[in-house]
Amino acid sequence: MSLYEILGTLETGFIFALVALGAYLTFKIIDFPDLTVEGSFPLGAAVAATLIVVFEWNPILATLAATVVGFFAGYLTAYLNVQFKILHILAGILVAIGLYSINLRIMAGPNKPLLGVDTVFTYLEGFGVAGYIINPIFLGILVLIIKLVMDKLLSTGWGISMRAAGANPAMAEANSVNVGQMKLWGVGIANGLTALAGALFAQVFGAADAYMGIGVIIVGLASVIVGMSILPSTTIFLATLACIAGAILYRLAVAVSLNADFIGLQASDVQLVTAVLVAIALIAQQSGSSFFGKGKKGKKSD
Amino acid sequence: MIELKDVHVTFNSGTPLETRALCGVDLKVPEGQFLTVIGSNGAGKSTSLNVMAGLAPVSKGKVIVAGDDVTDWPVHKRSKFLSRVFQDPKMGTCEDLSILENFALAYGRTAHRGFASGVTKEIRDYAASRLEVLGLGLENRLNDKVGLLSGGQRQAVSLLMATTGDTKVLLLDEHTAALDPKTADSILQLSKSIVAEMGLTAVMVTHSMAQALQTGERTVMFHRGKIVFDATGSERDGMQVEDLLALFKQQQGEELADDSLLLS
Repeated sequence: MSLYEILGTLETGFIFALVALGAYLTFKIIDFPDLTVEGSFPLGAAVAATLIVVFEWNPILATLAATVVGFFAGYLTAYLNVQFKILHILAGILVAIGLYSINLRIMAGPNKPLLGVDTVFTYLEGFGVAGYIINPIFLGILVLIIKLVMDKLLSTGWGISMRAAGANPAMAEANSVNVGQMKLWGVGIANGLTALAGALFAQVFGAADAYMGIGVIIVGLASVIVGMSILPSTTIFLATLACIAGAILYRLAVAVSLNADFIGLQASDVQLVTAVLVAIALIAQQSGSSFFGKGKKGKKSD
Repeated sequence: MIELKDVHVTFNSGTPLETRALCGVDLKVPEGQFLTVIGSNGAGKSTSLNVMAGLAPVSKGKVIVAGDDVTDWPVHKRSKFLSRVFQDPKMGTCEDLSILENFALAYGRTAHRGFASGVTKEIRDYAASRLEVLGLGLENRLNDKVGLLSGGQRQAVSLLMATTGDTKVLLLDEHTAALDPKTADSILQLSKSIVAEMGLTAVMVTHSMAQALQTGERTVMFHRGKIVFDATGSERDGMQVEDLLALFKQQQGEELADDSLLLS
């Protein structure tokens, strides 16, 4: 792989790290298998692209607006589950398929090109460094800031309540935690992060597309699983770090595999590579150890 | 402090599986009283506790806590007044959180939870001082995940957590049933001393008649969704399991047919 390809992989990896952090929040923290992300990823892209191209919004404001809209998509899924007792997976599917039509409406078509307009990455041109170098650096810093904010948030009194709501809802309720409200916030934030990823993805690759959400949930989950297989995740700090590392390694593994001409892999084999990679990560987790050590788990009392 | 007024609870109402779990229960537990609740399987003792905690919907009647009608309050809102120790030690604590974080969670039950750090020096000192009393060395393991503790240790932590903050009523739901006899006894003694020291109003459901008579100052017995026996003061002092069984037979005209009660 060339340096250009490696930096490109890092750029995509950092974007999908946001999806991975969202998947960590829903699947691991609040125990809510959320499929809304298949719709909120293209929703973020569609909102940002339309606001930038059609309404000529400032790209930073458009990206923030996309994040907020993504939050409400996730909030709606959790609301269907909490208020109307619709199974979480079904609620996510309902919102995701609804968002498909909404995305087509927002973009007034199946896609919205971002050609010849300013994006958040346009501002980076002022540094005088090539885009393929400065873009992954910017995205890396952004992801790191979001990771640290998330770490901090989950260690506050509110964050501890959210973690308890997912791990032991009955106990959380008995300690005056409104579990339903925690689900609303958790799924909302996760989809806000996913929509942000979608908005950035569209601006990096120059277009928003109604179909760009297909497989996003797998990428997010695969990143979490791969990350936690290679790094110990005994603390929130390490777990979120593992998500980011997982997203990058996942993209790297896919890129390397598809560059391995000697095995005869093609671009169309990407889903097969994903499946094999996740299977290996899951088998590694079954063996009870991460690649870089078991982590300090301690000894259980008798 | 806590009162059930003509409480009716019916499960699977309107279906062939309709079950009347509570049939017009009136029960008033004054402030500072330690009440024990006994009854055979399906008698309604756990349902009555669930009604107090907000886990069982009331078909008719009212639940009053500290003068407030809490009948329609959700569990998390009632928890400001009522704390609970579950039968299963795994239920009362969160195994993914550290001991300290569990205390922080309990601390926030009656205090404001915000976006400041959840674990403060105040909470750390408080948790250490309370755990020290147990003599299990847990005050030196504050950062250990609760999942690493044994069942007895977890139940002790659960009890301390339930009595953290401005607790008004403590609900003990067969909280020693899942423990070995020695650990069960130590948890029971701990419960008694905490309730006495803090002057709490407590309601303990138990399957053991002996335990019910030896704990607290009042015992009620449930049978077929009703209170059939309510003993306190001199009537209860010195009462043995045999006396209770005889009284039951005299009042109900039948033998108590529950092996777990008779064997305990």
